[in-house]
Amino acid sequence: MKTLKILVTILVGALTIVILSGMLESTKRENLFAEKPIPNQEQVDRQEAREMNALKGYQIGDSATDFSLKNIDGSIVSLKNFEDAKGFVIIFTCNHCPYSVAYEDRIIAIDKKYKNLGYPVIAINPNNPKEYPTDSFEAMKVRAKEKGFTFPYLIDRGQKIYPQYGATKTPHVYLLQKEGDQNIVKYIGAIDDNYQDASAVKNKFLENALQSLISGKAIATTTSPAIGCRIK
Amino acid sequence: MKKIFYFLTIITLFTSCDERAISTVEKIDQEGLKKVIAPSQKKIKVINFWATWCAPCVEELPYFEDLGYAYRDEVEVILISLDEAKNIDSAVQPFLNENKIKSTVLLLDDPYAAEWIPIVDEHWDGAIPVTMIVSKDKKQFYNKALTQEQLEDAINTFL
Repeated sequence: MKTLKILVTILVGALTIVILSGMLESTKRENLFAEKPIPNQEQVDRQEAREMNALKGYQIGDSATDFSLKNIDGSIVSLKNFEDAKGFVIIFTCNHCPYSVAYEDRIIAIDKKYKNLGYPVIAINPNNPKEYPTDSFEAMKVRAKEKGFTFPYLIDRGQKIYPQYGATKTPHVYLLQKEGDQNIVKYIGAIDDNYQDASAVKNKFLENALQSLISGKAIATTTSPAIGCRIK
Repeated sequence: MKKIFYFLTIITLFTSCDERAISTVEKIDQEGLKKVIAPSQKKIKVINFWATWCAPCVEELPYFEDLGYAYRDEVEVILISLDEAKNIDSAVQPFLNENKIKSTVLLLDDPYAAEWIPIVDEHWDGAIPVTMIVSKDKKQFYNKALTQEQLEDAINTFL
């Protein structure tokens, strides 16, 4: 009888340990994934409204909005300030996204080449730094300095501009051309078709579009699917 | 003593529910991708595009893991990693091991995204995370990150 008692005690003890360790395991597992506060309904609605807007966005031929966004040097940048420009290469990009990082050198090269031909690059970080801490304004300054960005790198504070353009990911390009006092969307999509290897690119979508604009020809490919990190 | 040991073994087996093995990542190309996204007669396919460095992707992975286990008889969860193939040993497989990922994990080794994005779905804007559900007679594309409730609701329209 005594043996049985001891046996039962041991069993109950062992069972408790097993169950507790199981619980620990599952809590640990949940914690492995980034924690996020549960959004309240108002935020969810706003987010959904934003997604709806983003779904519409600009089509080729639409007139793109100007903006007044803060640059990493503290200045406020608007398209209307570039009096001599013939158009703009608007690139929604950021720090955290490997696709964006992979294109940094190519963006610098495009800016250097096409700024002189009237089409400067304007980079805009559309992300909320609360979602991606490495996309903060301070981190943008650091990255721009490290890489020697030759173009403005603006923050879309309040995230009002990217939904109007319909940008959904980084990098996401909008090529604009000045027509009168409007900036008309001429190309939307990717920079080229190989983010991994610039030397193995088959289609230089953006450069081809720029060349066509400069030589006054119709752009053959006005949109392209672009891989990227979802804007949040 | 022996009896206790057996008893404990049985209890342990009972308490650890998802007994599937941790996945090993497998590389696929565009042809492989076409087969993966094609409907299956047997199971509903839940296909998610992700990457180890993509925070919103990583955030929703546990929902897919839970779904794949809960509906293991009806559903096959396939996680397609867009990490670079050179990072399989340094990042992707270690991530699967560390997070005990048990769904099928494939890595699409093809940088020409403009070619395969439209193959996956004409509505895909190219942003990840992204999810699609394919059954033998239906396809739904979710061009956004999903919450656990949204994923549950989505699969319920297929079951």
